Parts: sequence; C-alpha cells; structure tokens
Amino acid sequence: MQYLVSVIDDTAGLATPDEMAAIDAFNDRLEAEGHWVFAGGLAAPSSATVIDNRRGEAIFTDGPFVESKEYLAGLWVIEAADLDVALKLAAEGSKACNRKVEVRPFQ
Amino acid sequence: MVASLTKRFGDLDIAEEAAAEAFATAVERWPADGVPPNPGAWLTTTASRKAIDRIRRENKRGDKHKEAQLLHDDPPEPLGAIGDERLRLIFTCCHPALAMETRVALTLRMVAGLTVPEIARAFVVQETAMEKRITRAKAKIKAARIPYRVPSAEDLPARVVGVLTVLFLVFNEGYLATGPDTDPVRHDLTAEAIRLTRLIRALMPDDGEVAGLLALMLMTEARSTARVSGSGELITLAEQDRGTWDAALVAEGHRLVRERLAARVAPGRYQILAAISAVHTSARDVRDTDWSQVVALYDQLVHLDPSPIIALNRAIAVAELDGPEVALAAIDDLEDRLAGYHAYHAARADLLRRLGRSQQSRAAYDNAIELAGNTAETAYLTRRRDQLG
Repeated sequence: MQYLVSVIDDTAGLATPDEMAAIDAFNDRLEAEGHWVFAGGLAAPSSATVIDNRRGEAIFTDGPFVESKEYLAGLWVIEAADLDVALKLAAEGSKACNRKVEVRPFQ
Repeated sequence: MVASLTKRFGDLDIAEEAAAEAFATAVERWPADGVPPNPGAWLTTTASRKAIDRIRRENKRGDKHKEAQLLHDDPPEPLGAIGDERLRLIFTCCHPALAMETRVALTLRMVAGLTVPEIARAFVVQETAMEKRITRAKAKIKAARIPYRVPSAEDLPARVVGVLTVLFLVFNEGYLATGPDTDPVRHDLTAEAIRLTRLIRALMPDDGEVAGLLALMLMTEARSTARVSGSGELITLAEQDRGTWDAALVAEGHRLVRERLAARVAPGRYQILAAISAVHTSARDVRDTDWSQVVALYDQLVHLDPSPIIALNRAIAVAELDGPEVALAAIDDLEDRLAGYHAYHAARADLLRRLGRSQQSRAAYDNAIELAGNTAETAYLTRRRDQLG
C-alpha cells in the first residue's frame, strides 16, 4: 500500500548540507528495503501557480493555493505493508529532513 | 466474538453488525428452537455467514478470489486464543495514530461493549458527535491500514504505555462515573478495566507499570462498596467502613506492590500511585495512616509528573502532617491551573472549614458543587456545605 509523506516547513530556508546528507542516507535505505516509490524537494511556494479551469476559461493565480505560515516543502511516496511500517519510516524521514511530516494513505 | 470476527474479516464495522444480527437471530429463534449444544460456536458461525453476505453485497468489483478465501471454514478457535483476539483489539483501538479521546471512545465501544449513548454521556458530548468520532476512527483504521495485531516485542514497551492510559481512564469512568443520571459507580466498567489489565499483564508479566496499574485498580476496587452510602452519597476514604473493604483484592494489590519493590527498579507513576494506595489500605483505621510515607511517595511522584492535580493530592496529604494552613498555602499556588477542577475547590473548602473560615469555605463548596459531574460527589459536597451552618 502506498502512502504520501509530505514535508511541512515553516521556515524560509532550504535543507542544510547536514540535512541533505541525512536525507540521502534515508533515501538509500528506502530503496534498499523496497519502500521507495518517489521523492523530491519542492521549490519555494512563491514559485507556484494555481490554475482553475473548472468553468470555461482557465484562470491563473500567482503563488501557492493557500497562503499560510506552514507550507509543503517536499514529499516522499513510499510503499508499506501497513500504517505501523509507514509511521516508522516517516518518523525517520522527519528526523532526517528535520521537519514535521504528514503521512496520508493513497486511496 | 467481535474480536475473532474482526480478525477473520478485517473490518470492525462488519464484525460488529454481524455480531449484533447473530444475537438478534438467537433471541428470536432459541426460545422456539431450543438453545443449540454449543451456543458460542452457533453465534460465531451465524455471524460469519452474515458477514460474508454483507461483503458479497458490498463487493462491487466481484473479487471472487477473496470471496473464496472468506468462505473457507477456519477450525473453531481454542479458548486461549480469545484472549489473544482481545489483545489485538485493544492495541488496535489504542493505536498512537488515533487521538487519545478517540482511543478511549473506541475501546469503550469495541472492547468494553458500551453503547454510543453511554459513552456520549460519560464524555458529556452529544450522541451524534460521539457516533461521528467512532465512525471516523473506524474509517481511519481502514483507510490508513492500521494493522490488527499485537505489536512486536520491540514495539510493545512503547505501545503499552498508551494502552495503560486508556485502561486507567476506563477504570476511572467506572469508579467515578460522570453524568447527572448515571450510577455513581459502574462495576461493569471497573471489572472490564481490571480484566483487560490482567490480560496485558499476562502478555507482559515483567512490566512494572502494568503491575502497578493492576495493583492500583485492585486496591481501589476493593473499596467500592464502602464508597457510596445507601442514600447515594459519596463516603470519603476517611469516613469509610474499612471492614467492608474486599480483603482479597487488597491482599493481591499489596502482593503486587511488594513484588515491584523487590524488583528494585525505579518506579513509574502507576507503581507509585499503587504504593500510596497500599499505605492507605494498610491502615485498619484512618488515624493509623502513615501520612509521612504518603507525602514521601507524592514527593517522588511530583518529580515524575509535574501535573497540578498531583500537587493538589500531595497538599491534601501534607495537611495531615503539617496542618491545614500549610496545605492551603500550597494549594493557592495552583489556582490558575485548577480553577475548573471540582476537586480543587472541594479540597480548598475542606481546608477552609478546618481553619474555621466558614464563609470562604461555603463559597468554595459552591464552586465544587457546580463543577462536580458525579451524583454521589455532588450529594456529599452539598451535605458538607450545608453543615457549615
């Protein structure tokens, strides 16, 4: 079963070199143990664009979909047999990237 | 039975509904057809069939393979396995991914078998809100795939802490039940909490906090008949007829406390609370209570747990050693943190009464009565206040 592990940030900075090293080590482990599906760090929220194309003409808005102190900084998609496995991995991920994470199952 | 059905079908909702339908059928048919030779097996088989029917009805993708698996008749489970099933259920209901209030509600519903209205009353929330909370919890268990199992040996120590908290809350709800129309003491809940804690102890016989919690529950339960008068009023520890305490439960509690002392391991909070209870239950008469021991134990507990409620209970013991004036000063420090807690005002009221400050005592009793949620307590506080004259 797949889970989305979203990295939640509330600071302006990107990952420090130490954090990057820990993240790389963590990613290697995910791959080696068969949990890796996908992962990536996101550029700042200011680089985002929102598109609403529900009614005829597409409307473009500059910036993230919600202006808030906390924002999405990156994500992992992992494969885990159950929530216990997913939570253990996500806990390590949170420690590695030194930020809060949210674990959510895919449908 | 719900536990074994959940194991087989992996779905709490289906298990619950099937169990209820099986019971309903039994109630209908057994008076006419006679009770079957093995009623337990009949119920389980009937419930399984109903669960399979429901799964078939809901199965839009027509997963034939899964269906075939479900129809395979497992051999009847030996009695010892029922305990294992209940353990699986407890650890699932108490999973750390669920909010504490959700864990308690789910445990009360799925393990202790309380109805939603009963649980709603205990938490002083609307039935619809409680129904939603439980439904959402089950949905999360399913959607996030919270596993239905007893945690592995390495995970058990961390996970059991959460379970003990829930069991203690269940016990307390039974011991001092909330609600204006509720029985002040609910033996079904305290008995269930004790049963479940014994189960956890069988799983982890060397765990100090499990032993401590069990001891605490036993010594508290021992006093339950002495606790409420015939007229439904709370009788405090000082006023209880100690002859009516259950000697066997007290003895078992003491045995567990001695076992933990002999283990020479730094005690956790439940072990200390159990030791305090042991000091109280060792005294034939309230005047024989070793209060300096009680205060010394509270001193230990305060180090572990800076909660203002622990500080309050310590101050109440200090009053017996150093007098009400000293205790009152200690309690006044806790004002901002405990203003909404009835026992805080009750303690203040009692200390003020002992110091002859009747008007202030009366005001404190009024506060306590307004905040108290238990019928026996309210009756007791009202009487004390009215006695002030």
